[in-house]
Amino acid sequence: MNELIPLMVIVPLMAALLISAFSKFNTVTKIFAFVVAICLPIIPLLSNYGFHYFGGYEPILDSAVNMMYHPAITYSFTFLQQIFIGAVGLLTFLVIFIYLTKYRKVSGPYLFLLFLGTAAVTAMLLTDDIFHMFVFFEILALAQVGIVAASSIDYSYEMALKYMVLGSIGSPMMLLGIGFLLALTGSVNVTDIAAAVHNGLVDATSPVFLLSLALIFFGWLYASGLPPFHTIKSGIYSKAEPHGAALLQSFTVISMISIVLVMFRIYASLPIFEVLIVFFSILAMILGVSLALTQTDFRRMIGFLAVGELGFIGLGIGLGTNFSITAGLFQALNEIVITALLFIGFGAIVNATNEVDTRKLGGLLAYHPKVAIMLLIGGLAMAGVPPLSGFQSKLMLVQASLSCGFPEISILAIMVSIATFVVFVKTYYTMFLKPKPNDLELEGKEVPKAMIFAMGVLLIIVILLGIFPDVVTNGISNFVGGIL
Amino acid sequence: MLEIILCIVIILSAILALIQKDLLKAAILTGITGASVAVLFQVLLAPDVALTQAIVEGAIIPIFIALAVKKTQRSEG
Amino acid sequence: MAQVQLVILLTSVALVVIGFYSAIFIDNIIKKIIGISFIEEGVNLFIVAIGYKAGGVVPILMPGMDTSWFASNAAYPLPFGLVLTSIVIGASTLAVMLALVMVLYRRYGTLSTKVMLADTSKREEYDE
Repeated sequence: MNELIPLMVIVPLMAALLISAFSKFNTVTKIFAFVVAICLPIIPLLSNYGFHYFGGYEPILDSAVNMMYHPAITYSFTFLQQIFIGAVGLLTFLVIFIYLTKYRKVSGPYLFLLFLGTAAVTAMLLTDDIFHMFVFFEILALAQVGIVAASSIDYSYEMALKYMVLGSIGSPMMLLGIGFLLALTGSVNVTDIAAAVHNGLVDATSPVFLLSLALIFFGWLYASGLPPFHTIKSGIYSKAEPHGAALLQSFTVISMISIVLVMFRIYASLPIFEVLIVFFSILAMILGVSLALTQTDFRRMIGFLAVGELGFIGLGIGLGTNFSITAGLFQALNEIVITALLFIGFGAIVNATNEVDTRKLGGLLAYHPKVAIMLLIGGLAMAGVPPLSGFQSKLMLVQASLSCGFPEISILAIMVSIATFVVFVKTYYTMFLKPKPNDLELEGKEVPKAMIFAMGVLLIIVILLGIFPDVVTNGISNFVGGIL
Repeated sequence: MLEIILCIVIILSAILALIQKDLLKAAILTGITGASVAVLFQVLLAPDVALTQAIVEGAIIPIFIALAVKKTQRSEG
Repeated sequence: MAQVQLVILLTSVALVVIGFYSAIFIDNIIKKIIGISFIEEGVNLFIVAIGYKAGGVVPILMPGMDTSWFASNAAYPLPFGLVLTSIVIGASTLAVMLALVMVLYRRYGTLSTKVMLADTSKREEYDE
């Protein structure tokens, strides 16, 4: 059923608009949001693989030069899109479930932002049109700013404005890069541009082509929060509500991989492209972990760890072989699930204690044992402890960099994993195992059931992916074989 | 000839907008830049873009900035 | 390349540079936002200038026009369509930024970014 492909974007978009229009009917809004949220992970599972051409304009074959042209905005739906859209749909469902059970009176604009962000990342993954991706990139930035500004944490407006100002500098740069590509090839369809580059219609060493790479790369760094944007990215995670932060990091990961795959298809012939990606990824890994070590606010700590994990994804893609890209994309899927688990779990602790400083916490294991155990497993999965899912992807990454002839990078990846483990265990010890400080009041404060349910669902995915990684990696490997 | 005059107007009003101490005047000068760019779009054979640009950058954005200035403070600093 | 196109490309570069200067170096947040709108305007101008064709016609097929003559003389319309979208996006981000500025002005009473957007992590340490 190829008709379902555009529905993946249209359903959350329409839901967002309807909810914000009818938000004064509280019960109706709640039920409607819940039903739509259930539909989000189901639609990609039911849909068939294939293409959707908007307006029904099929590709045209130019018989004179024997090349295909794509006049319509094309959505391509393959296994990769299916699992990532399924994952983000499931996460959206869990986040909306937590939100609906937490507040008696729901806010229409907030639900609007959550659905809008989901629609934007779905479109970014599906689309084969670079300008279409840019439009949804901007919509996503607006939705992220809204989610941050809507939280009740101190200084969230300042962080939202800072992110927005940086974003308004980054996104025109990306548009300028798209403009250069358009000037060179006369098309905004990624398949057409890639074909033009591979057939030698574009001089791959011309300065204009290199400049377009630099500009789009700058936009990618902003979207994915790699250095120099790591501070602002971890900042917006710590200023959003915990369930919002869980969704924000999945938006970051998906926008990162969708833009980098498009760049990979266009610029893969340039050697400097892979060097750039590997350089910034390694920088992100080192900076993320070392900055996480110094934080006392545990939400900020998880934010920096999440940035460090993004470096692993970039590393896999930058190495440029089939196996390494598969490993990078598998790591992206794991990171979406694991980081969401950690954000929701630590959010549950904030909910129960109203305290974000690790130095003022302690002895929580006796009060919240379920949250403690699930957080421990999530943290171990992030650090790459067998048999959890993070181990499988990091093992693949280490093997890939070894087989590419970069043993230094494998050693670095292992060291960063160990550092991640140290950071997590240190924080976990001070929060859960250390004796309780005398001035900490814990009696009578419960963790919401919905949060425990969400963590349980995510934990099951972590363990299943750790035991059966082949379910996902085989499909991703086929996809990667198609774009190489 | 027209386009060279327009280009000079655009750059001059952009620089003037940024060295004004009075933010309301800066907002109006932003409007002049936007409107001149709209005429330039017409020269570049894009009348549809010119219409949108004239409305959005020539009128709506200066009004937004002026409203924000009215709600905050008029002088810089 | 036609002379008109060259002049306009230079103008767009100048607009982007002016916008960057103000977005990075000027302290006042409203002027930063004005600078950001100049960057967007410059990029839009650049993309429209790509589609220009010297001595061409507006890419609207009127009844009675010869299609092959039209195809060889009309400007390239794809960039124009992109810029339409981009103008509207720029306006909406600008509106959101100004709304955030108005909220923050009520809290701080100033438009200076040094005060308004100071590093929040350091400020929290001051509070303790």
